[in-house]
Amino acid sequence: MEGDLRSFALKSALEEVRNLCPDISSVFMFTEDGEITASDQGTPEASIVRIIDALDGLLEKAETMGGIELVTIRGNRGEANLSHISHEYLTTVTTEKADQNVNLMTRSIITTVLRLLEKMNLAQVQTTPAETITKPVESAGPAEDLAEQAKQPVEQSLEKPETTESERVETTVNHETAQSEPLANQFIVENAQGMLVAADTVRVDRDTLQRWEDLQNRKIEEVEVETFGGQSTRCKIKPIKETKLEGKGIIQMPQKIQRLLNLNKGELVKVKPITEQEDDGP
Amino acid sequence: MTKKKKETGLTSEVTEPIALHLTVSESDLRAKLEGIKGHEGVIGYILRNSHSASIDLKDPAKIIDYAVLSSSAIDASEEIVDQFNVGDIKSIVVEGKNAKMLSMIIDENRISIFMEKSVDVETLKNALSK
Repeated sequence: MEGDLRSFALKSALEEVRNLCPDISSVFMFTEDGEITASDQGTPEASIVRIIDALDGLLEKAETMGGIELVTIRGNRGEANLSHISHEYLTTVTTEKADQNVNLMTRSIITTVLRLLEKMNLAQVQTTPAETITKPVESAGPAEDLAEQAKQPVEQSLEKPETTESERVETTVNHETAQSEPLANQFIVENAQGMLVAADTVRVDRDTLQRWEDLQNRKIEEVEVETFGGQSTRCKIKPIKETKLEGKGIIQMPQKIQRLLNLNKGELVKVKPITEQEDDGP
Repeated sequence: MTKKKKETGLTSEVTEPIALHLTVSESDLRAKLEGIKGHEGVIGYILRNSHSASIDLKDPAKIIDYAVLSSSAIDASEEIVDQFNVGDIKSIVVEGKNAKMLSMIIDENRISIFMEKSVDVETLKNALSK
């Protein structure tokens, strides 16, 4: 589903909630990456940005408690609530007159809308072969095995009986491409945490990235991430910062990319570096 | 010095009651917190003001983590109440997947109580407000 449509649906839901409950003075949503998803009309974006900045430290430090589920700030003139719903944060500000159930009700409505949007998104992906859906990589295994495979001569052209000169040239070019076919590795998806996470960058362990670079003899800056459902996308690649996560076969992925590929934490993906040829285009 | 103090009676009249009030309030809070610490599921507390800080946690390895969390929660909440005109902070409850934290600002004292998820926050609030 288009991001705009999703945002529109959420914004409409938030507006309706606010219309139904006049005691809600402000309601908005943002992702774990700190990106504003939707807000009611009355809340200035600048205020939301300031709140997200202010919450950055708290959301990060709350890892001590296993991550945040709910924050309730009670003041003498109202209350602010922050709920963690499906990789996003819903913030509701109510006046002191508001019923305690207002927050529960808002959370339930938004949770339902989010689930509905996810299902619609899934249905759309299943019915329309979108541009991002590509054929899955047939061979995906340890880098060493694939490196061996890449070194094997490609025999496909030998099966063809007679080829013209131009076809021969083309076949030779294809062989070179095949020999330098990048290696696909499998990784377990892990959420990329923090507000300053680049939405277009995934992280894998330094050794894997180094191995790819050694085999390609060039710096790898982009990879293709592919799900086992066949969806794929290109994104930037960087090494994992935390040394404790090295060698665990995980890929740190921002929520935006997870949503795009209909992925969740813990799922398996195939990742292959983008070759020079792919970089340059056909 | 003693003579000077006697001469400036106004100064001693102003400073002494404030000092006395702070001491009573802080010691009173500390006593309440000690009582709360005995509640089932309470992990510990942090009491902080401009001149002192007391931390009592069952797991000393988490002192820094919890101190930073407490401070971050109060700072973020101050920004939120300021932006959305919610008034003065009465209480902050942060619920994580494994634990909960109740923070309150009483006079100049910033209190954070850490507890297991099963603990009823309202009971602790009442115990602090008595």
